Amino acid sequence: MTPPDPATPAHGAREAAPRAAAPRTAPGAPAAGADTGEATGPGATGPKARTAAPAPTPRTVWRRSRGLLICLGILIVAAVALAALTTGSRHGRLDPRSADPDGSRAVAELLRARGVTTRVVTTAREAAAAAGPTTTLLVTDPDRLGESELRAIRSAIDLSGGRTVLLSPGSPSLPDLAPAARTKGTAFDRNLDPGCTLPAALSAGRAATGGDHRYTTDGATGTACYPSGGHPTLLVLPSGTTGGDTVLLGSETILLNKKLASEGNASLALQLLGTRPDLVWYLPSPAEAQDEDPAREQSFLDLLPRGWSWALLQLLTAAVLAALWRARRLGPLVTEKLPVAIRASETTEGRARLYRKAGARDRAATVLRAATRERLAALLGVPPTQAHDPAALLPAVSARLTERQPDLPGLLFGTTPTTDAALVALADHLDALEREVRTS
Amino acid sequence: MALTGRAALLAALGSLPVGILEPSWTGMLAVNGALALACAADYALAAPVRRLTLTRSGDTSVRLGEPAEVHLTVGNPGTRPLRARVRDAWPPSSWLPGTETGASRHTLVVPAGERRRVTTRLLPTRRGDRKADRVTIRSYGPLGLLARQGTHTVPWTVRVLPPFTSRKHLPSRLARLREMDGRTSVLTRGEGTEFDSLRDYVPGDDTRSIDWRATARGHSVAVRTWRPERDRHILICLDTGRTSAGRVGDAPRLDAAMDAALLLAALASRAGDRVDLLAHDRRTRAQVQGRSAGDILPAFVSAMATLEPELVETDARTLVSTILRNAPRRSLVVLLTSLDAAPIEEGLLPLLPRLTQRHTVLLASVADPRVKEMTRSRGTIDAVYEAAAGTQSQTTRRRTAEQLSRHGVHVVDATPDTLAPSLADAYLSLKAAGRL
Repeated sequence: MTPPDPATPAHGAREAAPRAAAPRTAPGAPAAGADTGEATGPGATGPKARTAAPAPTPRTVWRRSRGLLICLGILIVAAVALAALTTGSRHGRLDPRSADPDGSRAVAELLRARGVTTRVVTTAREAAAAAGPTTTLLVTDPDRLGESELRAIRSAIDLSGGRTVLLSPGSPSLPDLAPAARTKGTAFDRNLDPGCTLPAALSAGRAATGGDHRYTTDGATGTACYPSGGHPTLLVLPSGTTGGDTVLLGSETILLNKKLASEGNASLALQLLGTRPDLVWYLPSPAEAQDEDPAREQSFLDLLPRGWSWALLQLLTAAVLAALWRARRLGPLVTEKLPVAIRASETTEGRARLYRKAGARDRAATVLRAATRERLAALLGVPPTQAHDPAALLPAVSARLTERQPDLPGLLFGTTPTTDAALVALADHLDALEREVRTS
Repeated sequence: MALTGRAALLAALGSLPVGILEPSWTGMLAVNGALALACAADYALAAPVRRLTLTRSGDTSVRLGEPAEVHLTVGNPGTRPLRARVRDAWPPSSWLPGTETGASRHTLVVPAGERRRVTTRLLPTRRGDRKADRVTIRSYGPLGLLARQGTHTVPWTVRVLPPFTSRKHLPSRLARLREMDGRTSVLTRGEGTEFDSLRDYVPGDDTRSIDWRATARGHSVAVRTWRPERDRHILICLDTGRTSAGRVGDAPRLDAAMDAALLLAALASRAGDRVDLLAHDRRTRAQVQGRSAGDILPAFVSAMATLEPELVETDARTLVSTILRNAPRRSLVVLLTSLDAAPIEEGLLPLLPRLTQRHTVLLASVADPRVKEMTRSRGTIDAVYEAAAGTQSQTTRRRTAEQLSRHGVHVVDATPDTLAPSLADAYLSLKAAGRL
């Protein structure tokens, strides 16, 4: 975009120039008034004006990164706190080896005392392999099982002929594991009465089976106990194989260490789990899905909700817009011719480097001696033309010195020093001689 | 057209509705379409840049090291208010390094039909002309999403003059001048050659200055008084060739030479002499001729402002012929050049007789304190070689100066901070000796 009428601003500029020029175009004016003592001006800022942009000091670096560090600190503290809060209570839940309030070591110990061996497995394949007519398979969290695990457990239930105890199975797992049963709302009362003819329930009496799922069955098969509002929380279903059965327990409370001693919990738990000599305690683990079935491995993007890829696309659009925003300059760069920067002393320094490279001790000694002779001659009143004449200079010098210098001719008119150290010493001796003549 | 960060931010925030509510092309279209619509509306509502009227005013010249203010008046003849970011671009050396971005950018709001003025503060770091570059204006819409951007050319030049730091030496030299002039209470017989007036003899006057003829005419003994010469012609020649480009300390030799020339011009114009300036290398770069005493310094500084060292060998033949052409009568020719052996011996020395037969020649040269420092270095073998090299170049310089002296040239060789007063002193002693 160019101004449609460039003459207008240009005209204004030219018009303004003479007016503004009056106070500034006369830098000699203060000088002309120098009689009044006005002498120094603010013109001495030249070297200062050439300083480069300041390098960041530690202080500025700290100031810049401080916000980021604080954010990072808050993030770490929050993560640690969150991890501590969430894992603390859940650790070892329903684990027969855990003595935590939420663990189940107490019931496992009681079973061991009655001759039941407990074996902990963490994968469905192991659980299915271990199941048999003489085993009780306890599935602690059926709802967490994937499809292949559910299949494995289902086949174990169908084929083993032993007992399978499912702890509070919900709608995700029931169709696979116990197709005859369905959930039917929540049991609000915690402690419930047996209300059935199951021997184990009768001898145990009141127990904490409520507080979670209630069930209902399609057919008349199975025994329904501990009803809450008409629907049972404990369901014993016969499985396909003779002698096998499946126990659906509406709540896991009776197995927990903290609740085992109250009501008839311990009795019910021992009778449900102790009917076979072996107990397979299946704790599903989060890593199981991948171990069990590599084909089900999912990429990170598969795990994200579907909308995220679209959000990412929109973010890319935003990034392109941000790039366009930053790329647009506020006007082009301004170029300028730079002055040459050559130091005036460059040739002299180059000569010094040449001397050193060539090891020119003879030249250096000659030059230094000649310069000293000329200065001495000026100090002693010897004519400059005779400065380099030993016959004229040496008597004058020795006459001036208080003590005799034995090697005066060698110092002022001697031969080339043979080593570098000798040349350095020669320079120092010439200085000392000149100082002595000057002060004497 | 220019996007803003706000538009990019809105697009980024748009990823939330796209991701959560409508993850599909429809959602993308809805969000980005709305954004595009808002941008278009913003663009349409922004004040047009092309129709703005821009004028400049302010300083046209400034001494190096001092700030200059240039005003830019932005008029908005349209019907929409202008919310703008303005960049008043100048060459990089117009500001201290690192401060350019802050100094050249202005935020501006101009209501419809009004004018507003912004001030750009320059602090040039080098001598010479600083020409204003383009003025770029980014005019934002009311939403701040999209801006119109355009460029105007508003010419303006700020001439950065030599700093003339040596003017602090002027009062003491003027005092010496007045002493010589006999205007002070110190009654010394002027050693000039120009007859001033007759006055009565008082005991103590030199008997040689008694004017016997006047005494015979009158009743008392009359003596002649003399005053220093006035109305002499001085031609200051700046050598702008390659030797003037070498930096001594932090500034080129030429800058030190200019400083010395300014002090000499100020002093000589006060002493009643006429001063001309000539800057020459292969050709004449600047010339000041026949200015009156009050006009000398402004003319000198503005002629010097744009001088830069040229990387060519100075042509002594054309230099001498130009001097002879510019100094028709007997003058003091002050040559501000270097004392390097080769250019002097091969260039100037053979031509010197042509100058010295008619004029008094004073040659001033900028010495390098670094060389003197080198001659004093001792202790290691490298240091001694440095000392030898420094001594060698000093000796060569002195030989050259002696050669010039034999041709009747007065030589002043001084470091940058002492060159100006040394040259002024040399001029005063020549004047006192009546050698002009």
